[in-house]
Amino acid sequence: MPEWLDDFLWTYQNLVHALGINGLLALSMYVVLAVGQLSLGQAAFMGLGAYSSVLLTLKLDLPFLAVLPLSCVAPVLFALAIGVPTLRLSGVYLAIATIGLGEVLRAVYLNVDWLGGALGLSGIPGRAESWMIFGLLGVAILALWAVGRSAIGRAMAAIREDETAAQVMGINLARYRLGALLASAVLAGLAGALGAHSSSFIGPNEYGFEPAVTILSFALLGGIGTPLGPVVGAWILTLLPEVLRGFSDLRLVFNGVIIVLAVLFLPEGLLALRMRRHAA
Amino acid sequence: MLAQQLINGVLLGASYALFALGFTLMFGVLRVINLTYGFYFSAGAFAALFLTRDAGLGIWAALPLAAVTAGLIAVALDWLLLAPLRRKRAPELASLMVTLGGVLALYSAATAILGPDIRRLPPGLVDGTVFELAGLRVATPQLFILVASFVLVGALVWLLNFTRLGLAIRAMAENPDAAGLMGIDTGRTAALVSFVAGCLAGAGGVLIGLNFNAIHPYMGESMMLRGFVVVIVGGLGDIRGALIAGLALGVVEVLTAGYVDSGLKEAVAFAILVAVLWTRPSGLFGRPALRRA
Amino acid sequence: MMRRCFVVLAAALTFGAGPALAEDTVPVGAIEILSGPSAAYGIAIRAGLELALDEVNVHGVLGGRKIALTIEDSAGLKDQAINAARKLIGRDKVIAIIGPTLSNEMFAVGPVTNERRIPTVGTSTTAVGVTAIGPFIFRTSLPEADVIPVTLKKAMSRGVKTIALVYANDDVFSKSGFDVMKAAAEKAGLNIVAIESFGSKDTDFSAQLTKIKALKPDAVGISALVEPTSGVLLQARQLGFGSETLFIGGNGANSPKLGEIAGAAADGLIVGSPWFIGKPDPANQQFVADFRKKYSKDPDQFAAQAFDALRIVAAAINRAGAADPVKLREALTQTTFSGVTGPFAFTAGRDPASAAGVVVLVMQGGKFGIAP
Repeated sequence: MPEWLDDFLWTYQNLVHALGINGLLALSMYVVLAVGQLSLGQAAFMGLGAYSSVLLTLKLDLPFLAVLPLSCVAPVLFALAIGVPTLRLSGVYLAIATIGLGEVLRAVYLNVDWLGGALGLSGIPGRAESWMIFGLLGVAILALWAVGRSAIGRAMAAIREDETAAQVMGINLARYRLGALLASAVLAGLAGALGAHSSSFIGPNEYGFEPAVTILSFALLGGIGTPLGPVVGAWILTLLPEVLRGFSDLRLVFNGVIIVLAVLFLPEGLLALRMRRHAA
Repeated sequence: MLAQQLINGVLLGASYALFALGFTLMFGVLRVINLTYGFYFSAGAFAALFLTRDAGLGIWAALPLAAVTAGLIAVALDWLLLAPLRRKRAPELASLMVTLGGVLALYSAATAILGPDIRRLPPGLVDGTVFELAGLRVATPQLFILVASFVLVGALVWLLNFTRLGLAIRAMAENPDAAGLMGIDTGRTAALVSFVAGCLAGAGGVLIGLNFNAIHPYMGESMMLRGFVVVIVGGLGDIRGALIAGLALGVVEVLTAGYVDSGLKEAVAFAILVAVLWTRPSGLFGRPALRRA
Repeated sequence: MMRRCFVVLAAALTFGAGPALAEDTVPVGAIEILSGPSAAYGIAIRAGLELALDEVNVHGVLGGRKIALTIEDSAGLKDQAINAARKLIGRDKVIAIIGPTLSNEMFAVGPVTNERRIPTVGTSTTAVGVTAIGPFIFRTSLPEADVIPVTLKKAMSRGVKTIALVYANDDVFSKSGFDVMKAAAEKAGLNIVAIESFGSKDTDFSAQLTKIKALKPDAVGISALVEPTSGVLLQARQLGFGSETLFIGGNGANSPKLGEIAGAAADGLIVGSPWFIGKPDPANQQFVADFRKKYSKDPDQFAAQAFDALRIVAAAINRAGAADPVKLREALTQTTFSGVTGPFAFTAGRDPASAAGVVVLVMQGGKFGIAP
């Protein structure tokens, strides 16, 4: 490999990892949106995946290929525990309930000493490789695409369009919603573990309200017509701050303005949200 | 000590309630999570800073002017960001997203223009006297916050229940389409709701900035999460509920910090939020007042 | 549409990094928080760095080559800090990095720069364990562990025997400072009567303070950034804490902002500092005058430490004799420097060697002075 290419890849390695990881997070939001739910719990799932995987690596020294699947366990258990009472809620209520749960978890990370408190956990070995990240992302896109074209996908679309009508047609609403939430937990847990093992440090503030909203904006910017939409949205929003580096103090301003313009002016294509209008 | 802790709780709760009033109004009527709300709070505080420090006004002249400034900013932002989406009948997610982008741009622009430094209002603007009775202590700015939250709740309840504008707002909260058919100009009503909510946020920013003496562009952001808790526990769009929920949240937080563990104060607040959503999603006090016919 | 977006993005990534550096400059990078809620720190540091750059580039290094300083923004976010470090090393080919601003950013950036053998010099990272990341990680900021014992000694000389500690439990800086404060208080034989925490964005501390007041400690130690520290002091006065209680600040309290925000409420607080604006030596007075001239405001300790850090790096480049990161690392370990923060050298662990420059300051009438 020529030196300049090596340098180029090294320079953007973290960015490339972030593209894949944020793509997974966007998909984790997509599966929930696909059944007409607005959840902001993805950052909390991601945090659980990150913390549990780091503990497995640092305390038990398990190989990463064993850690990765195990990192889904905590988020899935959490999703099961919160899913049953929470999924009765809809629209903004569910969104706010999941924000609340995320903040409760943050308080736990801060107050439990062996989770590092504010200092977080550092010295994490960089074991996440690009092929793992993009392999999982590819598998997830294909799986979601296949599901979307199956009977399950049509049921999900029916729920999204009109809950009541879907129930009348005999679709078990609760089962689909819980299923979507669990799939979302798995994807976010994987993303959390991969993210933690490519940046050597995690802290409690990385999994709070702001990242949750960022993940939502990935999916919304890309649109949820197909699984590719959210991934594209994630890529744009991940690259934006790097592209805007030259603007220095003003780059977050441009970042915000671009989001606003995208929502207001981009044709339905990039924001094809055919959600029910009065979800509350 | 318990008596002082209860007073601390009520005073803290009053600042939560003051912040949440406009938020619950906006949330209840316009049905969107408007993330720019926190910015009006910062804008009010900065307007008061410029009016008192540079224009030399007294606090009682600056307070209403700052509130109106924040109200106008709220109207402008509503017109820029949300009105186009309402016309297109875009889903509520799009509204959330647009206000997210908007608030990111606004906070960063404010930081870039005004600088990230923390400012303070000119010293001696209000009398910092502390009232002491039987060992219990309350400072003047804290009393302002307490009085202001009760007065503003009273004014809002009057506005909503005894004026034509209030009727229009309640009709719109109930059902915007039907309100439109009944001849209510929903665009104008939405702008008015934004104005009132912006004024409330701005006034809150001035008073709370006065009490804690720290004004900076991101000051509204840290209040937002507490705002969610108060608005949900009190009931979406329920003005009186917001006051009661704000005060109750303040007392619970203070008692947790005082008698259990100060590290758990936030966790308790959000655990209450989740518990209320699981058991009584429409808030502790039943149906939202705005939606009652 | 989508494809066009990508072409533009790719083009911007490839060519957007600014003009190629001329051959005869020595590229040095810095990563600081220039946007977002914590921008105040990074902007103060940038001011210090740029002032030092003006001075260094009058004569240049390595016989007249100018230092080309590229300052990247991290927005206080871990990922952006890593991206900035990789960009500085991979594209700008810097031979040293100054920063990043926060200790938790350093925990993320340090392993990357250390792996690439690029000397990295923190100017504001005070947490425990920062330099343990690896042999290429240095810092010029005195860790709290060196400053706090000096402050506590001064407090005990005033008869303090019992102390209550309050700290912000959700940021690395404050939590780490608290850990040090607690250990130092125990070691000094102080009786710790209460430990209370709060969030760094909190504005209400009344519950914690009311509890502490009932215990009547001789002193209250605060580990938090300047804004919550001011809030604690303001509210403590409202709740009736008088001059019988000595308030002791951590590094966060060491900012002129404290007097501006808390006003008279901060009177009597003591804080240990590696630097003091009123230090009478000519080098410091020159720095303060130059800083005021260039920026029309007073420097703080972050600017002062950054000012020294760039000059330490420049001196080390000269000693290394070449723009080479590994030689520069060796040269840095041999540093003996006299700056505005006092005489400076590194320990074997790449921390500042001497806490002799620490002065205990006392707040009086909104300004710091040397504590009697």
